[in-house]
Amino acid sequence: MAAGISLYFLMASIGYASALGLLSMGLSLTFVTTKVANFAHGTIAMIGGITTLFLIDRYMYNVKGLPLFVTSALAGFIIAGVTAVVLYLVILKPLADRGSDVIGLMIATFAIDIMLQSILSMILNLAHGKHFPKLFGASVQSWDVTLNCCGTQIAESHVFLPVAAIILTILFHLFLTKTKFGIAMRATIENPDLAEVMGVNTKAVYTISWFISGALAGLAGALLVFSLKDTSPNNSNLIIVSIFAGSILGGLGNVYWGLIGGFLIGLAEKLGTQLLNLFYNNYLAPSLHLPPFSFVNYEKLMSLGLVIIVLLTAPQGLAGIDWGGLLSRMGLKTARSRKPEREV
Amino acid sequence: MAPILEVKDLNAGYGRFHILFDLNFKVDEKEILIVVGPNGSGKSTTLKAIFGIAKVYSGGIIYRGEDITRLPPHEKAKKGLAYLPQTNNVFAELTVEENLRMAGYTLPPDVVDERVRTVLESFPFLKSKLHDKAKSLSGGQRQLLAMAMTLIREPDLMMFDEPTAGLAPIAAKEVVEKILWLRNDLGKTIILVEQNAKLGLEIGDNALLLVSGRIAYYGSAKDLLANKDLGRLYLGLAK
Amino acid sequence: MIQNPFTETWILLVLVYIIVTISLNLEAGFTGIPNFGKAVFVFMGAWAAQGIGIRLAAYLLEKTDPGLAAEALKHLQEIGIGTYKSLVQAAGDTDANRIVVTSYIYPYFQHHLALAALLFTAVLAIALALSAAMGLFASFAAVRLREEYLAILLLSFSELMVMVIFQQTTSLNGGPQGIWAMRFGSNGLRTALILAAVFAAITFLYAEKLANSPMGRAMRAVRDDEIAAGVYGRDVARIRLKVIMVSSMIAALAGLAFIQATPSTVSMGFDRVKWTFFPWAYLILGGMANNVGAVLGTVIFLILQRLVQLLPVYISGTSTTIMTIIPYLSNILVGVIIILVLYFRPQGILPEKPSKTVDFHRILVEEGE
Ligand SMILES: Nc1ncnc2c1ncn2[C@@H]1O[C@H](COP(=O)(O)OP(=O)(O)OP(=O)(O)O)[C@@H](O)[C@H]1O
Ligand SMILES: [Mg+2]
Repeated sequence: MAAGISLYFLMASIGYASALGLLSMGLSLTFVTTKVANFAHGTIAMIGGITTLFLIDRYMYNVKGLPLFVTSALAGFIIAGVTAVVLYLVILKPLADRGSDVIGLMIATFAIDIMLQSILSMILNLAHGKHFPKLFGASVQSWDVTLNCCGTQIAESHVFLPVAAIILTILFHLFLTKTKFGIAMRATIENPDLAEVMGVNTKAVYTISWFISGALAGLAGALLVFSLKDTSPNNSNLIIVSIFAGSILGGLGNVYWGLIGGFLIGLAEKLGTQLLNLFYNNYLAPSLHLPPFSFVNYEKLMSLGLVIIVLLTAPQGLAGIDWGGLLSRMGLKTARSRKPEREV
Repeated sequence: MAPILEVKDLNAGYGRFHILFDLNFKVDEKEILIVVGPNGSGKSTTLKAIFGIAKVYSGGIIYRGEDITRLPPHEKAKKGLAYLPQTNNVFAELTVEENLRMAGYTLPPDVVDERVRTVLESFPFLKSKLHDKAKSLSGGQRQLLAMAMTLIREPDLMMFDEPTAGLAPIAAKEVVEKILWLRNDLGKTIILVEQNAKLGLEIGDNALLLVSGRIAYYGSAKDLLANKDLGRLYLGLAK
Repeated sequence: MIQNPFTETWILLVLVYIIVTISLNLEAGFTGIPNFGKAVFVFMGAWAAQGIGIRLAAYLLEKTDPGLAAEALKHLQEIGIGTYKSLVQAAGDTDANRIVVTSYIYPYFQHHLALAALLFTAVLAIALALSAAMGLFASFAAVRLREEYLAILLLSFSELMVMVIFQQTTSLNGGPQGIWAMRFGSNGLRTALILAAVFAAITFLYAEKLANSPMGRAMRAVRDDEIAAGVYGRDVARIRLKVIMVSSMIAALAGLAFIQATPSTVSMGFDRVKWTFFPWAYLILGGMANNVGAVLGTVIFLILQRLVQLLPVYISGTSTTIMTIIPYLSNILVGVIIILVLYFRPQGILPEKPSKTVDFHRILVEEGE
């Protein structure tokens, strides 16, 4: 493709961005329901990843493509979802009931993160050579079939991820707007006391929101594994930074914008960095006689940079921007007089 | 006839903040009881204590002869009590229709359909706004929506906390008329906390004047309106 | 014979962590700032002696004894490591660093004490300035926002600095291989112990004094009710920024002392488990907003962690499986204890001492909002 970005890379970026969208959406969900900023979200995703490894090693060594993705995604969805519920019910809810403040709950998720990572590391350490003999030293990338498309090659998981993300988002949206429980969830997010007055079991709403959040993370993690070069649990160390960046870009208080924020952060990290790299090394550096520089290893800095910009210019994130007003000011839409109210 | 609600020696508050002291009063069927008093005197807390949101330390709340003091809010809702909070009484991010459906959360779906239709007949302006978010309604419309929501559960005893606060006079009048209609046409019993003492006392049967969490006056609303001392002292009534 | 588990290295850890935990206490305990990025500020102190300090040392050596510097460069060439334009360049290069540092820089400064004192002062000043600047940069975007934002931003900043920028940019600190830090004195561990003891004492006294000063009351006001504190004329953002900058400087002292004993630690060694989570755990166990508690929590936890670490020695000799999982078990143990403390005794072993601060909530309630 033009400008040196291959279709393979483009699809890889979109795949990663889709996974990040799901992750940021899930993070925002438990934040708006239970007010917990979950620092363990990246590691919960990693549980999905380990699930995939386990499946391949034990049962699906010879299975590739769609059947493998669907099975891994489903297994990651369920296992990580259940883990998240257990963590919520056993650790976070009792703490919240005892009156733990925001900081107390954050440090609890921090502790959970470190415990989960240690457990996963232990599993992997003990597993190499013993429990996952076939995976030792292997790259899971090779289970990702490449498709021939448009005269070039792309990886199947990079197509599967955005499709799965779109389907899940639609399902989630239907759940929130068309089912009684989903509407109750939105009501609880906005005003738990009033929802309680209406007879909603808010405890159940919180528990389900943790399941959904964990499940989406597990699914994303199960599929992201196919893009990784090795299977170290350290891989989840830094993804939490990107997930939070996506949620903050989306406004931290809005599920849909969390999805969009995560997607945009994903694109910025992959595609944005690559474009910057090309622009600098092909145009800027030669014309200004600067030394060549590879930005690729610094892609994570994109998310930090964006977060700082968002916090300084629009701390409410994308959700806080008056899009209608913006459009009308640009003459694209007739102005509506009412101002959007601030979310509490 | 036995009163529909009886409050006996009620002491209530929030955690260690003791707000209400030894309240005693009763409400008869189809009565409008007006609760007035200065800011912070405990009017909202009284309604919350009855509905089970504020903490009751001692005393009893008897509803139709049954002691309901310790029931959780949603159980009280099932028994026929309804409470309209002073603020945040609708879900701003939900559509009008979703708000009405949330109000019937514990009812079977077909019953909800039926009741939404009935309620819409009484609040026709809501029909054209069913798919708008509640935050797009005006303040008065929101109060009416909140009122419509409480009606979905067909309660017998409705408690309103300052439903006219912050409304323009015309909108306030509309809300007050709706309250009278609830009592006169639907036969509901009403406890109304009203900031505008004159307006409230004119439509009320009995009145409860709270000062610092204690009852300073309990009796006929007309008499309180005529009582110059109390009126001037606590309610800002001229003359 | 059973070895003494509480070695000098362990004592160093205790002293260093006391510094970090107290500095976190100033932020989290007294001011309510959830600094989840502590690691980078400790690292800044280490880097002042590492990436910067060693180059500065090379520069001073080159200026004061050009002959020795030329000899060192020639030596590098002879043994085939490479050709370097200057000793500063060689000192910052992962290949040449080790030889230049151990064979030339360390011995040189051991014999030129005045120069070493000058260099130490410079490194100390750089560590403090750098860490304060980093604290400012890492938090200014979120200092006016709710705690969650500050926590997320600080965590992200720390992780990306330590795990990406310093890891990927070899010219800063040697990248994954690392470079040796400037070490003062002939015995790194002893220097580290002395420095850590002095810094810990200063830190403790300073924190105690600060806690009982008007500034300390302002910090607690910010923590207990930032809106009320704002109403009563406190600039919440300024107080937060000040506390973060001061605490970052203190954390840098810990890094500077620690690196003396382990001069070759790479940036990845300052990970968030060891240098952010552990101090939090120690603080929560000991008691937030209580400096004695911070010290107590640190000591108790480090004894416990040391015992777990030595578990295989006492139980069954050394099985490799157990050896590999011991660090993980230790981390899990810390996590479990923290959650239990948060649940059963959220105020920690030593709760905050009652202070003379005004309870803003009370005032608000009494004044009728
Ligand atoms: N959640 C709470 N926790 C602690 N104290 C509270 C709480 N809510 C109200 N209070 C206190 O209880 C007292 C009574 O409050 P309440 O809301 O009942 O007053 P009110 O008569 O309804 O006033 P207004 O006319 O302003 O609505 C006040 O002093 C108030 O500060
Ligand atoms: Mg009130």
